[in-house]
Amino acid sequence: MKKSLLWIVVLLLSIAMVTAFSLFGCKVAEEEVVAEEEVVAEEEAVAEEEAVAEEEAVEEVFTMLFVPGIADPFYYTMEKGMQAKADELGVNLIVAEYPKSWGPEAQVPILEAAAAAGGIDLIITAPTSTDALIAPLKNLYDKGIAIITVDCFLGDGDYSVESNYSFPLSYIGTDNKLGGLEVARNLAELMGEKGKVFLMNTNPDTSSVVARGEGFTEGIAEFPDMTLVGEDWCLDDQQKAQQIVTAALQKDPDITGVFGVNVFSAQGAYQAVVNAGLTGAVKIATWDATQDLINALKDGTVDMILAQKPGEMGSLCVEWGLKYLRDGTEVPKKVIPGFEFFTKENVDDPDMQQFIYTK
Amino acid sequence: MSNMVTQRNGIHRFFLQLGSKWAIIFLILGAILFSIISPGFLSFNGIQVILINSPFILLLALAETFVIITGGIDLSVGFVMGFASVVSAKLIALLVVMGMNDLFSIITGIVITLFIGIIPGFVNGILVARLKVPPFIATFSMLGITHGVSELLIKGVVAKNLPVLAGKIGNGSLIYIVPGKTVSFFIKPLIQRGGNLIEILPTVFVIPFIFILIFAFILKRTKFGQHTYAIGGNVDAAIRAGINVKNHLIKIYMLSSLFATIAGILYVLRYITGKADAGTGFLLDGIVAVVIGGASLYGGIGSVWKTIIGCFIILVLENGLRMLGFPTFYKYILVGIVLIFAVLVDKLFPELIHKEN
Repeated sequence: MKKSLLWIVVLLLSIAMVTAFSLFGCKVAEEEVVAEEEVVAEEEAVAEEEAVAEEEAVEEVFTMLFVPGIADPFYYTMEKGMQAKADELGVNLIVAEYPKSWGPEAQVPILEAAAAAGGIDLIITAPTSTDALIAPLKNLYDKGIAIITVDCFLGDGDYSVESNYSFPLSYIGTDNKLGGLEVARNLAELMGEKGKVFLMNTNPDTSSVVARGEGFTEGIAEFPDMTLVGEDWCLDDQQKAQQIVTAALQKDPDITGVFGVNVFSAQGAYQAVVNAGLTGAVKIATWDATQDLINALKDGTVDMILAQKPGEMGSLCVEWGLKYLRDGTEVPKKVIPGFEFFTKENVDDPDMQQFIYTK
Repeated sequence: MSNMVTQRNGIHRFFLQLGSKWAIIFLILGAILFSIISPGFLSFNGIQVILINSPFILLLALAETFVIITGGIDLSVGFVMGFASVVSAKLIALLVVMGMNDLFSIITGIVITLFIGIIPGFVNGILVARLKVPPFIATFSMLGITHGVSELLIKGVVAKNLPVLAGKIGNGSLIYIVPGKTVSFFIKPLIQRGGNLIEILPTVFVIPFIFILIFAFILKRTKFGQHTYAIGGNVDAAIRAGINVKNHLIKIYMLSSLFATIAGILYVLRYITGKADAGTGFLLDGIVAVVIGGASLYGGIGSVWKTIIGCFIILVLENGLRMLGFPTFYKYILVGIVLIFAVLVDKLFPELIHKEN
């Protein structure tokens, strides 16, 4: 009796699993069919054009893989920019799973699994560690896959000098140091060029935020009446950022400015300032124009936001990647899209709305 | 009439055999399923990816197998792994700064870490065996202590600045074959980029696998293994039989920490970073793998090979879903279902277990 029960359970489970996965499989297959049709249509168009030129008309379709750094609006916006460009240029873009935490132990297995599926010509990724991603990416590079690092880089980010990490085609991302410097100058203006500031950073293993911190430190040093009282790391943990800023405000009650280098550190920082009842008295500068931070700016809990251009970064990656793959064009070792500043004055400006990140 | 009975018994035994092997059947079915629906899963690279991601869960599950068979549990392994990764990363970086050659710094750092890494296990063992602290509490305290100490060592950030060689070892393979030309071990032959190079067995998989072979043998065939089962089965009987239960338990917890330490060292070699929370994600997977493998949390039952099957069920689900581009959350759900299933099979059909042992 019990035996038959066991086997019924086993049978049901396996049937359920097979059905579930064949459904997913069908979905994937359908998408592929659609993609192929599109490709065919494009190829036909190309063939017509080239038939005039009497040339060989076999257009190769390139496959690019995007491995994001973490599941957040910045990378979602980047993916949208990438996808739009890929559709425009007829590139097959595969997006890997979004890592749910920031770090090589989350990102590397995803990178390797996605690459193992095969057929990838180019990998676009935001390396979550300047050191740890070198070896896994080098292995893939040695297999003949081109690499572009976006938003973050390997080593010191200088791929023009021969080194063990100089193999990527390019670093495409914000000049974080310049951004940090500009944040410092703008924050100084808000603070009347005097007072104490605190730097709430996230992760010393990540190139982008380290450079923001360095730029900010240099920027503050330009103003003789301003001092940077401290820098700490919250490892992308909003609660930790809140605790750190609360402690910093207790230690130096006369802090009048905080720079939170990304969404998590900024949200933790303004929460700490709100809890201390210092809204408005402590100016908060932050980075990345997520909808949450824009709302906070409108509420007056945040005073200034540097908006990067993730969509443009994504679009540039696909564009340069295709130029390299198809025509063998030399890609610049650094491609730097600019950034914009949101303040209370311009946040409702219609021209600025395009720089808010999407979900 | 008697013929019918034997026939019934024959079928019954056949089903019993199949039932007791449900885990391996499930693993094979899963692998076949993913091979069909996921491109690249059954490819050479696909299998390498599963192997290169396997060492942490394999080692932590191996650690838990021994502890769980004695009727205990070791919650500290995840953070002992982090502790070991931090200690070895710091040591290696320090030795390099002191002017030691890269390879020797790595070896020396690893050897010292192995000794430091068994200290938490020793304390766990003393607490559990001599001071009669419940394993859950003792190892949970050790979880906090190792976490705190490692965070203090790296001041809340990550340990870096390791030599490039470390990453080469951790991301390398045992055998390299350039078809028609050379075969080399450990050292990657220089070939033209994009050239045909077959890499077989990632180093980070080979090391735990050697330990698995050794300790599967020890658990099954030696007196040490028999004593482990005896303590888990019935402590009083084990004491009456003249087994030094206290010393044996201390050894088991030290062994558990040793495996976690090796996992931490492999983490450093693979990611060239030491992190206090390196092992948090792998602790539960390790315990789950042991339970899926049919071990009883009350002790006395379990085997290394079945645990390994449990590990690979998790790894196949994880990597298969990843290759299809599904978020990790699906893995949690599926692993949860498999775990419930495993426990139900044990509860509803105890004869499956008793037949085995």
